[in-house]
Amino acid sequence: MSENRSADIVVIGSGVAGALVASELAQAGASVLMLEAGPRLERWRIVENYRNLANKDDNQRPYPASTLAPHPEYGPDNNYLVLKGPDASSYSSQYLRVVGGTTWHWAASAWRYLPNDFRMQSVYGVGRDWAIAYDDLEPYYYRAEVELGVSGPNDGTDLGSPRKQAYPMDHLPLSYIDQRFSDVLNVNGYKLVSEPVARNSRPYDTRPTCCGNNNCMPICPIAAMYSGIVHVAKAERAGTQLIANAVVYRLEVDAHDKIVAALYFDANGNSQRVTGQYFVLAANALESVKILLMSSTDKWKNGLANSSDQVGRNLMDHPGTGVTFLANESLWPGRGPMEMTSIVDHRDGPFRRDWAAKKLHLNNQVQTRHATIKALAMGLTGPKLDQEIRYRSAHTVNINSFHDILPDPENRMRLSDQKDALGLPRPEITYQIGDYTKRSAVHTRESYGQIAALFGGTEISFDDHFAPNNHLMGSVIMGRDPRDSVVDHECRTHDHDNLFLATSGVMASASSVNCTLTIAALSLHIADTLKHALGKSA
Amino acid sequence: MSNLNSIAMCTRLRDLAPSLILSVALAGVLGSTQAQTPSNAEQIKRGAYLATAADCAACHTVPKTGQPFAGGYGIDSPLGTIYSSNITPSKNGGIGAYTEAQFERALREGIRADGAHLYPAMPYTSYAKLSDDDVQALYTYFMQGVPAVDGIAQKTALPFPFNLRFTMAGWNLLFLDHSRFKPEPAQSAAWNRGAYLVGALEHCSACHTPRNVLMAEQEGSPFAGGQLGAWYAPNLTSDPVSGLGGWSEPEIVQYLRTGQLAGRAQAAGPMAEAVQDSLQFLTDDDLKAIATYLKTVPAIHLANETQAPYTFGAAANDEVLLRGTAPISDSTIPLNPAELFSANCASCHQSKGLGTQDQYYPSLAHNTALGHANPSNLVAVILHGVNRTVDGHTVFMPGFGADSLVTSLSDDEIAALSNYTLQRFGNPAAHVSTADVAMVRDGGPQPLLGRVSAWLRRIADFW
Repeated sequence: MSENRSADIVVIGSGVAGALVASELAQAGASVLMLEAGPRLERWRIVENYRNLANKDDNQRPYPASTLAPHPEYGPDNNYLVLKGPDASSYSSQYLRVVGGTTWHWAASAWRYLPNDFRMQSVYGVGRDWAIAYDDLEPYYYRAEVELGVSGPNDGTDLGSPRKQAYPMDHLPLSYIDQRFSDVLNVNGYKLVSEPVARNSRPYDTRPTCCGNNNCMPICPIAAMYSGIVHVAKAERAGTQLIANAVVYRLEVDAHDKIVAALYFDANGNSQRVTGQYFVLAANALESVKILLMSSTDKWKNGLANSSDQVGRNLMDHPGTGVTFLANESLWPGRGPMEMTSIVDHRDGPFRRDWAAKKLHLNNQVQTRHATIKALAMGLTGPKLDQEIRYRSAHTVNINSFHDILPDPENRMRLSDQKDALGLPRPEITYQIGDYTKRSAVHTRESYGQIAALFGGTEISFDDHFAPNNHLMGSVIMGRDPRDSVVDHECRTHDHDNLFLATSGVMASASSVNCTLTIAALSLHIADTLKHALGKSA
Repeated sequence: MSNLNSIAMCTRLRDLAPSLILSVALAGVLGSTQAQTPSNAEQIKRGAYLATAADCAACHTVPKTGQPFAGGYGIDSPLGTIYSSNITPSKNGGIGAYTEAQFERALREGIRADGAHLYPAMPYTSYAKLSDDDVQALYTYFMQGVPAVDGIAQKTALPFPFNLRFTMAGWNLLFLDHSRFKPEPAQSAAWNRGAYLVGALEHCSACHTPRNVLMAEQEGSPFAGGQLGAWYAPNLTSDPVSGLGGWSEPEIVQYLRTGQLAGRAQAAGPMAEAVQDSLQFLTDDDLKAIATYLKTVPAIHLANETQAPYTFGAAANDEVLLRGTAPISDSTIPLNPAELFSANCASCHQSKGLGTQDQYYPSLAHNTALGHANPSNLVAVILHGVNRTVDGHTVFMPGFGADSLVTSLSDDEIAALSNYTLQRFGNPAAHVSTADVAMVRDGGPQPLLGRVSAWLRRIADFW
């Protein structure tokens, strides 16, 4: 690697954001160096780890954390994230530090945000406005859908985000439970829709059609589901030099506030330095903050890009609640992918002045494991045990939700006093969920009860604890005013004109849907900006 | 010449131009209509069918993006890239200025209007058998039924000595049989039609007959099976072990029409293209005729095959032995081949390897890809996958080669996986080495002519 220690573009992080930028720039002829803190993992190894795993619900465990670049592990808990505040446990997030990033395991939901999500303050008087509008991002949303391979309802279903082109692929046929839910809910006042997903409904981009292994999380064994590793491969084949196990611990800044180098520890713990013309920090919403804060200098006492003191603040996620019940009919969850449909009645409307938007989604995960745990706990044996497992597997319904949350500067990440193996500080998070979200959750609980009643639900069990959904947003927030935001509409830092942040951390509102497609769209926007800057636009 | 041979092999399925054979067969079958003069519209329609049977578009149309028959499709060969020509009726870019005699000469003798020799990527040795009627119908179709596309397709520029097109004259002297298809009066009309289809139009022998050192089809071994780059085109003779002796005529028809016969074989690589672009469009009568004829091809037994390739294998059950023993790992080295199989194959082909109930994901047991003594097709399928669209339905398996977006497996891993699947589901006597995988990855065994040509080029450079 010593022969190429400098590049037009240095990308830090190899998840979907960094890999898209690297792939686009390398294909345009730029020299690209990509640094990834974690190791390379083979898909087949991840699949085998999953199959050898006793707890199939542990999405992190098949990706063993590297010693030098740990990521959160919960079985057992490695306490990588230092969590504080009233709702600390609601930010016990999962993300991966491996080549390819966290989209190795996701549900592949590929939603666009709504136009009003970009102007919450202007329209509803709460939260913040983005520095970019939906219409500006629309072409990039479409490009992202093409790059990731999104299948969606091409049947005229209005998801509230105006589109100019059809989805690259039609949606998959619904599973039995999803179809039954659609039939029942849609005639009872709910709007249940087929989700747009980055999952193949036909062969696409040399990857196969989904064949329903039903373990999208923690790993799609056949790559029918998109993962960032796809664009890592494309980036490398276009000439990007990827260095794995490269833990960036500092960005160097010159007297003109330009970033000149990235310093990292290699696999042997030795410090290395690479230089570049432009730097793209794409190390996820928390690790990117860590690098900016660790890079403080006499001039940049609070860390780079942080003249606004907003780096690390405004942490958001989609606080989730759930319900589980037994339906009075066999619904057979588990055929097809893990999630296919959502209830979208409350994604937008005047109510957002007072309480959070939300999306409810039906869990199509196979229920045999939970059914067996429950049946064993009932003390059953022999044929009665079999019968109970079968009954519960067929009748169990689980619904979950994402709630919007407002950006609050007090919800923040700092550098902890606790250190990792390299002596680098761990992320310390303070988190509290406000009444705006809690009011919405009360309403969600009522909906759960009504839906359970529509299926003659028994053993109704509400899970009111706000679960983390690993959609880490707000930490390097976008805005027009350099005094209260970190990046501008191009995701360029206000403070350093050759430093771009490709991460969900820039997102200025949480909305009620998964953030990956928006990250991808913003990353393609960054790629275009950089191509233009380098004179490599087509 | 080695260029020519290699090219012929690489491209055989792509540009099986030889609609000739079909027309001869037609002559036999349609004897009663022969005497009448068909209308122009009928001639065009018949010519279109013949062009499909001969799969002209496979080479003369750039897949997906190209205009029909406008040429310019680059066919890789060990000798260099050969570009197909524009065969639309454009007068400046295509063959619009060709007389019927010139068209016939190109088709049957491989000689262009300007007198230059074609490379035998164009299967004119098969098309030489075409009937006069069929040549005429093809001419009518290409002149009147195909939209003209102006613009000369990219020209082929092979390195020395293959740039010397006149050398083909010598090759033709040795290997081009100018005789037309002659019906066997003792055989049925269907048999004769099948012989014509197989021999002239579909040019089956181009792949399924082994080649000699000058890359011409071996005279003594028709349909004994041949190597086509990375792929093995199996024995089509009536031998019950090595060939199609154990296949019924309806089974052959189903395979040719769909590319899939559960418990037997699935078409991949060049054969998938032949099914997709040509065979699926043939009439039932023509497919039956092909089957009728193939069942009578004199048996040639391959000494290293003692059991029919589709009879090997049984369900595997290693999954239970794998679980609960291995720790969570970040190793890039597999513990054993069963692990590679489980992770890379079993998600579709199922842990027992018997595929799904509907056989969309086929069983690996009782599958010719794993049953031949020559395991090239198994390795080629792992590297390149399967992509076959028949009647609007696509059968797709991803490849695991260097350009895979699913998983790139190494030569060692593919060799281990091949040997594991051969032992469990296929011919246990077959074996795949790491070097074998590297060779298939590199396009298959290099014909002698290709190897010799490298020497010739060195000598030429020296001069």
